[in-house]
Amino acid sequence: MKKIFAISGDKVRPSKKIKFSNKEHRSTAVEDYDPSYAEDIDDDYRDGEGKKWDFTELELKPDHANRPLWACADGRIFLETFSPLYKQAYDFLIAIAEPVCRPESMHEYNLTPHSLYAAVSVGLETETIVSVLSKLSKTKLPKEMIKFIHDSTANYGKVLKRLLKDEVIGRARISTEGLHGSDGFTVSKSMGEIEGRHDELLNEAELAAAAEEKETHSFEIDPAQVENVKQRCLPNALNYPMLEEYDFRNDTVNPDLDMELKPQAQPRPYQEKSLSKMFGNGRARSGIIVLPCGAGKSLVGVSAASRIKKSCLCLATNAVSVDQWAFQFKLWSTIRDEQICRFTSDSKERFRGNAGVVVTTYNMVAFGGKRSEESEKIIEEIRNREWGLLLMDEVHVVPAHMFRKVISLTKSHCKLGLTATLVREDERITDLNFLIGPKLYEANWLDLVKGGFIANVQCAEVWCPMTKEFFAEYLKKENSKKKQALYVMNPNKFRACEFLIRFHEQQRGDKIIVFADNLFALTEYAMKLRKPMIYGATSHVERTKILEAFKTSRDVNTIFLSKVGDNSIDIPEANVIIQISSHAGSRRQEAQRLGRILRAKGRLQDRMAGGKEEYNAFFYSLVSTDTQEMYYSTKRQQFLIDQGYSFKVITSLPPPDSGPELSYHRLDEQLALLGKVLSAGDDAVGLEQLEEDADGMALQKARRSAGSMSAMSGASGMVYMEYNTGQKRPGHGMKSKPKDPAKRHHLFKKRFG
Amino acid sequence: MVNAIKGLMISCDVPMAQFIINMNAALPQSQKFIIHVLDSTHLFVRSDVAGMIRSAIAEFREQNTYEKPS
Repeated sequence: MKKIFAISGDKVRPSKKIKFSNKEHRSTAVEDYDPSYAEDIDDDYRDGEGKKWDFTELELKPDHANRPLWACADGRIFLETFSPLYKQAYDFLIAIAEPVCRPESMHEYNLTPHSLYAAVSVGLETETIVSVLSKLSKTKLPKEMIKFIHDSTANYGKVLKRLLKDEVIGRARISTEGLHGSDGFTVSKSMGEIEGRHDELLNEAELAAAAEEKETHSFEIDPAQVENVKQRCLPNALNYPMLEEYDFRNDTVNPDLDMELKPQAQPRPYQEKSLSKMFGNGRARSGIIVLPCGAGKSLVGVSAASRIKKSCLCLATNAVSVDQWAFQFKLWSTIRDEQICRFTSDSKERFRGNAGVVVTTYNMVAFGGKRSEESEKIIEEIRNREWGLLLMDEVHVVPAHMFRKVISLTKSHCKLGLTATLVREDERITDLNFLIGPKLYEANWLDLVKGGFIANVQCAEVWCPMTKEFFAEYLKKENSKKKQALYVMNPNKFRACEFLIRFHEQQRGDKIIVFADNLFALTEYAMKLRKPMIYGATSHVERTKILEAFKTSRDVNTIFLSKVGDNSIDIPEANVIIQISSHAGSRRQEAQRLGRILRAKGRLQDRMAGGKEEYNAFFYSLVSTDTQEMYYSTKRQQFLIDQGYSFKVITSLPPPDSGPELSYHRLDEQLALLGKVLSAGDDAVGLEQLEEDADGMALQKARRSAGSMSAMSGASGMVYMEYNTGQKRPGHGMKSKPKDPAKRHHLFKKRFG
Repeated sequence: MVNAIKGLMISCDVPMAQFIINMNAALPQSQKFIIHVLDSTHLFVRSDVAGMIRSAIAEFREQNTYEKPS
């Protein structure tokens, strides 16, 4: 008398797909509508939204086979990448629409007010957009779409006086009449004064608009208000998208900087294209260029600087990348050594002459506390100077408050943001539209892979089942704070990791990076496997030493990195990444980590399609099944999947026949490990937190206090902190934050001014 | 005398067995449903709990699955 049913832990995902019932589906669709077609696109949209998927109204053109696009009334556009017109259509679409998902043969784009704003700002006109779109579309353009395009772009080029009527903008206007031309920032009147005369100003503005209808070609805006004004002009408020252009050739006020690209610096086609978007009409536009990591963002930055030929302020995220940028400038351009200087807590150089390039970090500029006299001087200089170009690396970090401050502090004619991953978990990525400008160009990752410009990466998700004992502890309520430590330290995961390291080191001679966010796991893994590791508290000297060894020595083929290695550490040699723990569901982190191995390696012909090696880089993400990690892992991959990457699931690692040659084979070893995890303090098994990582905070509902192993052992490095660059302090981040001057006691306020 | 209990045999993978055991342990004595843990992948339980176990597991899996927001 027994009934048997099987429950298996994996196979979670596939079952999700078949959600809708066929019945419902037919009731909403028109009769001759082919259900299999809708199934191919997406199942999740189905429930109750049948209307959205009824395309019967669209009229198919007779020669539709030759046209590459499907345009839907809701603003979505699908592009067939196998069409002979793909290249042209792609260039056009990327200018007017936001890429949503770009797998191999079918791309999805979305028309948004922001994307159309970007289109207008690169010089496309409403009529051109509509006519090209209808030429490329297989169907007649839906009326809604045409209307949408008109609505979003109609206001182009005739708004000045209407702007002045707007309260917010009127307030920000500087009342010095007769100051025309975009070159030249005058010193602004203090905010109080302007506000006091607010009414008067408004009237004046209206008068001005009425009386000198033709004369008001330009007006000047209080620098402190620029951000507000720009925000006000965005589609969701006034809907008068603004352009920020810099007519650098005719700027005679600011001194020229003598720099050219060196002849050997040959921009690749996509770099050329992104630059041509920026310098479309002989002026420099502000905006963002999105290129995958390793595709040569720095060359784009340097080229832009050497076209503008004015003073350039280059902002990077940390001291290491400051060095790299300075190096790139010297490598690609003819800039002289004394014209370029780095400004970090370690090196405070100042440039001679009246124009030059300054490379510094966001933190250095935005720092609100007291500085040394020397850096105070330099920062004054940065504030007072009019910069021709503000070059911002890794611009996705900018929306964090501190970084916004940078933009309002520095005066620049043109801003160029560079990034690989324009995603944030806190949805503040749209802020960039008014902080910097529209997205000028976004490269397609798969096209670059095909062209051999970036490595062809095999992505894999390795499913490691939890062992019995670890899972039992994982499920217990009292261990809720240790869940992460438990699934990261899962012995099966450790064995898989060890197996992969051995395989790649011995069989292929690869260079491997292992990423772990969890410091406890990082130390445990690195110690057990006897590999070098770098984390927040590792001193600059030691980091350099380890990286150097990794690059040159034959004996050091694997390094363990914590979050500090996510971006900006340049390790071109590495071609394998194993990720054992990660920062919750951060899509950006996943993409940035992948970026560490995207730099193309080997000979070009081997890398091209049909070459010797299909894949030359490997990205493994180790996931403990049946745990939260599965959730995070899927979420993290979304960005890369949207770029067209696919993740292969591997379930049998290490191979079943592997025995005691890998660690934690015997039960007692596993139990000892478990005991160690359980006895470690809650803070020790938490996440490492770095100050610069403001985005990540949004992911965690409860903040854990950061703890480092060295702090536990009493070796907390006050000495290290002296050498540190001011941003990577382990653990005590919160404490060392400079006090906000506004909150100071009034007695001290006097003293510090 | 032979004592017969009518029940359900569950066969599943190791983590899921642990999940069910944990579920059982969290219940008060009167509602405990596991009659015998046979080995790490087989359990013998009361015959009326199949639905409950299924739904608990479904919910647990749901938590660990990410669905792309539309």
